[in-house]
Amino acid sequence: MKRDIPDLAGGVILAGIGLFVSLYAVDHYEIGSLRRMGPGFFPAVLGGVLACLGVVIALPALVRQGPAIRIAWKECLAVLGAILVFAAGLDRLGLALVTLISVLIASVAAPDRRIGWRIVLALTVTALSVAVFSFGLKMTVPLWPGR
Amino acid sequence: MSGWDGFLHGLSVATQPGVLIYCAFGVVLGTFVGVLPGIGAMATISLLLPITYYLSPEAALVMLAGVYYGSQYGGAVASILLRLPGTPQSAVTTLDGYPLAQQGRAGVALFTSMISSFSGSMIGIFVLIVLSGALARAAIAFGAAEYAAMMILGLVAASTVGAKDPAKSLAMVVLGLILGCVGTDVNSGVQRFTFGQTELMDGINLVALAMGLFGVAEVIANIHAAERTGVPPRVALRELLPSRAELRRIPFPALRGASLGSFFGALPGTGSTISSFLAYAAERRISRHPDRFGKGAIEGVAGPEAANNAAAISAFVPTLALGIPGDPIMALMLGALVIHGVQPGPLMLEARPDMFWGLIASFGIGNLLLLILNLPLIGIWVSMLRIPFRWLYPAILIFVCLGVYSVRGSSFDMFAVALIGLVGYALSLARFNPALLLLGFVLGPLIETNLRRALLIARGDPMVFLQRPLAAAFMIAAAGLIVMSLVQVIRRRMRA
Repeated sequence: MKRDIPDLAGGVILAGIGLFVSLYAVDHYEIGSLRRMGPGFFPAVLGGVLACLGVVIALPALVRQGPAIRIAWKECLAVLGAILVFAAGLDRLGLALVTLISVLIASVAAPDRRIGWRIVLALTVTALSVAVFSFGLKMTVPLWPGR
Repeated sequence: MSGWDGFLHGLSVATQPGVLIYCAFGVVLGTFVGVLPGIGAMATISLLLPITYYLSPEAALVMLAGVYYGSQYGGAVASILLRLPGTPQSAVTTLDGYPLAQQGRAGVALFTSMISSFSGSMIGIFVLIVLSGALARAAIAFGAAEYAAMMILGLVAASTVGAKDPAKSLAMVVLGLILGCVGTDVNSGVQRFTFGQTELMDGINLVALAMGLFGVAEVIANIHAAERTGVPPRVALRELLPSRAELRRIPFPALRGASLGSFFGALPGTGSTISSFLAYAAERRISRHPDRFGKGAIEGVAGPEAANNAAAISAFVPTLALGIPGDPIMALMLGALVIHGVQPGPLMLEARPDMFWGLIASFGIGNLLLLILNLPLIGIWVSMLRIPFRWLYPAILIFVCLGVYSVRGSSFDMFAVALIGLVGYALSLARFNPALLLLGFVLGPLIETNLRRALLIARGDPMVFLQRPLAAAFMIAAAGLIVMSLVQVIRRRMRA
């Protein structure tokens, strides 16, 4: 069966978002008139347009072979994991420790399997980020756990 | 202030040490990221946005612009040496630059691209000076209807001209417009789509959006791809000099490319990437030996490289003169201006002459710096290609996090960046263009305000967009573009 999965999924999701935005705007915000548009007017119209475009994208994708895609799961997890850990840990662990941990997490995705370079990299980036952001730009972040 | 007086005044602003040093930093960093495949001007400018909070508005904009046109110089290096475009704008340079490198003429190809880039930029600056002043003066007469119509034309042009699938591009623009609605509605004070999150009251953070879509998403996509670069050949300084016969083949293609580039760069929707492809096609068409193209024709490097640089400069015409960005990078520039409390548009020329002319003059200085620095430093840039991406991307990620956090000290924004990065990666997987989303996001509030104002003045009569001649012309052009791309799509389906 021929399907263009990326376009099909993308179209359906966009149509869904459009529909939701439109209905939510109509339901929650005042629409007003053309002369005095309320806060809901613009999003309601845009949502409708997006829903239509989503359908236009999805329909032909039903009967067409799509390109094969390769999802970079490992890269995705490592990168997002690093950011999430950084975001959650910055206040509690302090800049130095959290940078070290996040760089190590991010480096998991690299194609080089060895360990040594990761540690060197983590220490370098930590030194750099402390130097630039904490000492250089004087950003108000805790440097170490428990200040 | 006339154009030349203005430019001279601008020179006095741009040569202040506090501005000059950021200009130099911007162009060097721009060349660096242009050289490296895997990180582009878009990502770098988003990364630098939070840092500009610490700078004067002039220094900030001069630096960000320097990154943009600097990356155009660097982009050619990887194109020529590795057949890997460092930036999309230099993709077409691979066609003849790489064959030249294989014939052992890499130095000549690099020299050609540098010198053509420089002449393209100079012509672009000339066009910018002539056009932007005149346009800004003309635009003072623009009403809300003209502005709204012009922005709609800009968005339609950006998503249809040269797009493979206009429906997908338009959908991105519309999604961007919707995201632009999030936050407090300026007219009524109503909180739209904030879902009770106080962090969303000021809208989605531009820095977080740009960093997520370009920084994070590009890192995810490139960890594997950017690792497979070959080993670039060494280029010695004296290999740069072309023979006399080769030298003669540079000026006219460069001039033609620059003219094409400055024209299409100033139009909304057709940026430097399209210009470089058009310049290549033009060179091949008028050449007496079209068969040489693709096998190492100097003209095939000179034309496109001049075109993309000229277009990068003339793209500032609508951004500065009208406050309407023609492409996503200009949207980021506009965002940076607004962050610094500068309202771009026709009034900027009068209200902030230092900013306006200083920025334009800095283009001249920056390009001169690029020429002076890059020719002797070419060996260093080439060796940059040997840095594996795995040494860079973890640092980029930390930079993204701290950059976003520094804007207002909010962890919420860092979580948002992770989410936006995931969305951006999904979009690029499914071949949706996230750059158009950003363009819509920046223009959204401007369009809505002008649309509402225009209709209020016209007492709710939508015909106002067809009764005012200029607005009508913009609307008709936008409609024409949509019809044209519809016809194209239908024709392609019929053939398939």
